[in-house]
Amino acid sequence: MGKFILNIIHRPEMVPEYAEKVTGQGKKEDISRKSLLTESLDIFRLQQKIAHDNGFKTTIQMTYASLFNEEAVALAKEHHEKYGDEISLTLLGLPCKEFREKYKTKDFCIWMFSMEDKKSIVTDVFEKFHQAFGFYPTSTGSYYLDAELTNYIKQQYPMVTCAVATCWEEGPKAYRTCNNSWYTLFDGGPWNPWIPSKQNTHSPAANEAEDSGIVAIPHLSRDLLACFDGNGSNFGTHPQNVLRGMIYKNGEYPYLYNLIDQYRSLAKYNNGYAYNMMFVGPGWMNKMGRWEAPYELLVKSYEDGMAYYAELRDKGEIEDMTMTEFACWYRANKTYTEPECALWKDILYGSEKQLFWYVDPYLRTCVDMNQGGALIDLRPYVSKLDWPVGIGTKHVQDASYPFLIQSMYRAGYFTHYAGEGTIKSCKVSYQGEEVDLCLCRTKARFSQEGKDRILTLDPVEIEFSDLTIKLVSTFTFTEGTGKIKISRKIIEMSNPDAVVHINEYTTACYGTTEYPEDMYGIILKCIGKNDVKEIVYKYKCREESVLNARKVEAVVPQIDTRLSMTPVVDGVEGYFREGYAFSPMFTLGLTKNISNNEEMITCLNLEKAD
Amino acid sequence: MSQSGKGRLNYRCPSCFMRDLDIDMFYDKDRDEYYCLRCQYTGNEKDVLEKNEMARFRYRNMLKRITTFD
Repeated sequence: MGKFILNIIHRPEMVPEYAEKVTGQGKKEDISRKSLLTESLDIFRLQQKIAHDNGFKTTIQMTYASLFNEEAVALAKEHHEKYGDEISLTLLGLPCKEFREKYKTKDFCIWMFSMEDKKSIVTDVFEKFHQAFGFYPTSTGSYYLDAELTNYIKQQYPMVTCAVATCWEEGPKAYRTCNNSWYTLFDGGPWNPWIPSKQNTHSPAANEAEDSGIVAIPHLSRDLLACFDGNGSNFGTHPQNVLRGMIYKNGEYPYLYNLIDQYRSLAKYNNGYAYNMMFVGPGWMNKMGRWEAPYELLVKSYEDGMAYYAELRDKGEIEDMTMTEFACWYRANKTYTEPECALWKDILYGSEKQLFWYVDPYLRTCVDMNQGGALIDLRPYVSKLDWPVGIGTKHVQDASYPFLIQSMYRAGYFTHYAGEGTIKSCKVSYQGEEVDLCLCRTKARFSQEGKDRILTLDPVEIEFSDLTIKLVSTFTFTEGTGKIKISRKIIEMSNPDAVVHINEYTTACYGTTEYPEDMYGIILKCIGKNDVKEIVYKYKCREESVLNARKVEAVVPQIDTRLSMTPVVDGVEGYFREGYAFSPMFTLGLTKNISNNEEMITCLNLEKAD
Repeated sequence: MSQSGKGRLNYRCPSCFMRDLDIDMFYDKDRDEYYCLRCQYTGNEKDVLEKNEMARFRYRNMLKRITTFD
């Protein structure tokens, strides 16, 4: 393979996000205001010109509103003829006079409508597109496309092969950044293109039977470290996002290029393939300026971003494709079970922090080297959760894929008053002293052996009052299994006869936000060679353990998931700990005494519970 | 005193920005100051720009071009 692929997407959004509120400040709302429509089209025209001047073809995602505008339709046809741009259709940009008159609502996010309205809107928009162009589009999208909607589109318009289907980690953080008003709650998806399953958009298809029939691309390529903690809309391959984040000085923003280059570097973890996309809505290049940046800087940043892509293209380091071209390439070059990996380094804050992100059809996780290789995010994709969203469902707005571990929303390594936080780590103890690997900062390197992706951490040193040890952690992700094999090996001891106690543990709960969920009904179980201990969660702070453990597990019926840990070596004790009201978590653990040159190997397993 | 407007360039509240909140400020022309509807920040344009500079403290590599990612 050996490709860094770029999608450039533009949309003639006749009523751009932000623009009405910004340009119309002090005026009564009027989405058909002529000055607004003219400016929107001018911005679209300018974005197209910048891309074409740099020798790129684009994907023009027509909005519903733009299909009523003869000039926008003519422009798309002309650019298709002249530059080879793909004429596509987005389900963003629905608001216009015609839409509001028909649907009698100000809702505009396709995933939040009732299923009945979704179907009707899809028909209206696709048929209007056909009227304008004489063919149906082969790509579509929105900020998020729920599985039911994708399945419906694919059933009605089977020619669709590609869709923008999520924004990475656009959940509670984005909501909060907008003063608790931005209802794009869809954390927990892949950061790079994937084939969504028919059951749940976030969760990639494991096989042909689960294949939704589209290749999904994320809306923007986002910083895998900055967006996990901060506002997603500040750290992406969207030049005005970088301005919004105030990551520039005197009109210079090297961070944007660093971000593009780090995405390019991910080819080494993904069999030579890397991906980038730029998709800037016209509202972000508003003539009034935005996010403290004057119009001139907004435009300059777009020109500079595009020029950088052109520079890479001229060096043979990037290839631009339209969305449909990309979907064809992806289908021809990727398999269902091939994971997406990213060993990501901090390129903004100067911390040298390193995260490893991993996605396959069975799980998404993140390993934090700054916390000794702790898992700080874990999503059980294997459960392929049936999670309808929109009006008339249990999740009108919340389209996130639930986590078992999310260290930012649920404390992680615990530093506060009482309780625990979600994290998977390991504690090493010796003669009454205990050290959690979360406090051992290190780095990692990636390797691939057949179906295994292996993350090997640099040795960490642990000092007890009269013993010093060096320990190496290794994580092995075997393609197509939903398992992570974790090794903790002691490679050096100041006293070679010493024996230390290893406690490999996972503290988890479930949820999609920062707030606790109902834990009643979760089943915690230890299975030993000769006995089984089991409880049903009741916030009673109970603990149980077994010798010669075969497995410790938690069945979380609320998200149809079985999380378990199994030892790969003998002589391991297994335990579980129930939480309590002030600490609504559970902990599973496997423990063993080991000495110099010995290792403790365990497997973390995820299964669909039902 | 007449009503406030958005003012030049939609300045956001620097104090809220530092806690990851994007909130456009409003401008009181009689007092020549921007103010936040959510928190207690007020300041003229010079002060806003100074505080925005302060908000960048966490971006230690903001101006560094990075070319290796190993």
